[in-house]
Amino acid sequence: MKINSYRDWYWHILLLLAVVIQLWPLLFMLSTSFKTMDQIFLSTLNPLPAKPVIDNYLYVLKNLPLVQYIVNTLLIASSITLAKIITSILAGFAFVYYEFSHKEKLFNTLLLTFFIPITVVMMPNYLLISKLGLLNTPWGVILPQLADGMGIFLMRQSMRNIPKPLLEAGRLENASPWVILTRIILPLIKPSVIAMGIVFFINSWNDYFWPLLILHDKPTYTLPLALQMFISAEGGSEWGIAMAVAMLTALPPLLLYLTCQRFIMNTFMQSGVKG
Amino acid sequence: MNGIIFENVCKSYGETAVVKDLNMTIQEGERLILLGPSGCGKTTTLRMVAGLENITAGTLKMGGQVVNTVEPGARNIAMVFQNYALYPHMTIWENITFGLFIQKIPIEEIKARTKQALEILNLSGYEQRKPNELSGGQKQRVALCRSLVKQAPYFLLDEPLSNLDAQLRLQARTELVKIHNLYRPTFIYVTHDQVEAMTVGQRIAIMNQGALQQLDTPDVIYQRPANTFVASFIGSPPMNLLQGAFRDGALWIAGSRVNPPTKWHTLLAEHQELWIGIRPEQCCLSDTPMLHGQIEFVEHLGSQRCIHLRLHQDGQRLLCMLPADQPIPTGTVGVSFSWQHVNGFDGHVGKNIGLPNKISHNYAC
Repeated sequence: MKINSYRDWYWHILLLLAVVIQLWPLLFMLSTSFKTMDQIFLSTLNPLPAKPVIDNYLYVLKNLPLVQYIVNTLLIASSITLAKIITSILAGFAFVYYEFSHKEKLFNTLLLTFFIPITVVMMPNYLLISKLGLLNTPWGVILPQLADGMGIFLMRQSMRNIPKPLLEAGRLENASPWVILTRIILPLIKPSVIAMGIVFFINSWNDYFWPLLILHDKPTYTLPLALQMFISAEGGSEWGIAMAVAMLTALPPLLLYLTCQRFIMNTFMQSGVKG
Repeated sequence: MNGIIFENVCKSYGETAVVKDLNMTIQEGERLILLGPSGCGKTTTLRMVAGLENITAGTLKMGGQVVNTVEPGARNIAMVFQNYALYPHMTIWENITFGLFIQKIPIEEIKARTKQALEILNLSGYEQRKPNELSGGQKQRVALCRSLVKQAPYFLLDEPLSNLDAQLRLQARTELVKIHNLYRPTFIYVTHDQVEAMTVGQRIAIMNQGALQQLDTPDVIYQRPANTFVASFIGSPPMNLLQGAFRDGALWIAGSRVNPPTKWHTLLAEHQELWIGIRPEQCCLSDTPMLHGQIEFVEHLGSQRCIHLRLHQDGQRLLCMLPADQPIPTGTVGVSFSWQHVNGFDGHVGKNIGLPNKISHNYAC
């Protein structure tokens, strides 16, 4: 028993350390957003502000078109999430339900797309969007992200876990593939769809690099781009304001993750994917 | 009209043949059992009827139409799956009526059919429950109910009782026959349990290694198996198969000369090496024995005892059933049997050699 409890303590301390290291930037961001400029430079490493002030938040809310940025980000993240969910479900269903030649080869090719670095596809995508005249529009950000290999993989795995006789029973009832998908499969994999949607949404919400290439005018900016204004040469050293914007940017996905953590963990553990 | 005809039907997965050249006719409204050991191709055969497996070669006709390429939903089939395949997210009512709504049957009729089926299967009051709130027996009845409301001309069952305990299985067998008698669909039932096959089936198709071994009534299959496989598969304990040879006008089994009735001579003479099949319950201990053996073991089966004998000379094994009220013999005993119940099988191919025109009963037990 003693050996076991010793081991438990050992692991607990290690894990606590890991958690602190992971959470430190968040804590730093939170505390800095409540500090005045003086306090930031006097007590940089102290996570607790001596006198918490909300001036940074007031400044951001008064002087920045924050609502505009939120609407832009929401529009782009929701569209991408919705499109990816639909394409992943339909493609996953096709891989599970239909028999067609070279099915496995096609699926394996799809898996290969995981390993293509984003920077490789960025240039051709940029040129295509530019030719289509979609630079500086939300559609330019959305269009190359309508489908996702990981999503298709996740949906296929979830659908494969459904006992085959359930689908066969549907076929014997003369149910169309659409009815089988919507009435039998989707209700059974709802938690996986929700989890996948949350991951897509958070990723799109936080996406910085692709919107940076496509969106040039400030009114079209998303929140991560707006944040960049304060931590670049343009924004100077307004650390308090930058952290307040960062807090407001991180809050929606954080809340979404915390409320739906259960679905996400279950889904990724079932499909054997490390989250 | 609603019969099913298999004409040279084959099914293979790559190089592996699962069903080989199946020729079989299932009459409209009969209860046919597909029986065989695991991996014999019986479930594949059923799934080909359902349209859930493609047919590699041959023709399958249902109701006079070739259905090789007809979609499962267009075949008008009701099927009960081994694990019931109830939709876990739907209530029992939704599970049962799912197919009827797809068929766009008027709601009044759906209600009437479902109410009747629920009453027949003692499921009234369970409509709003989910499948995971039911016991195995109840789930099985819901699956039957779902098939029953469809009132399809074909009723397929894939080992529907295999997940039930012995008591429930007994009850369910009777229910299945009652359900069939309600509107007499063509009924195909897959099982590996010979008791289920004998009690539920009007005819039994026995399969082994993808080939049909025998298709006949339970009585014929029990009394006159087509080959040594059927003889040893049907019956518990199975039929005794004794190696013998016909020489000098007599049958020689385990060094003993057995004199068959004269009518058998011509038939036996055609096959010099034979397997002689005798059911254990047709063997009896006798003072004027045909065979001698040493008792090795006695099994107590309640109303009967099964005596395991090792025959003298060549050590072949013979089982013999005795009423439980008879004293248990010991040591060496003599056994005799009636030729009325004897089956002869060719020693090489194992096929039943048939019966002589008339059988005389020289050795009554």
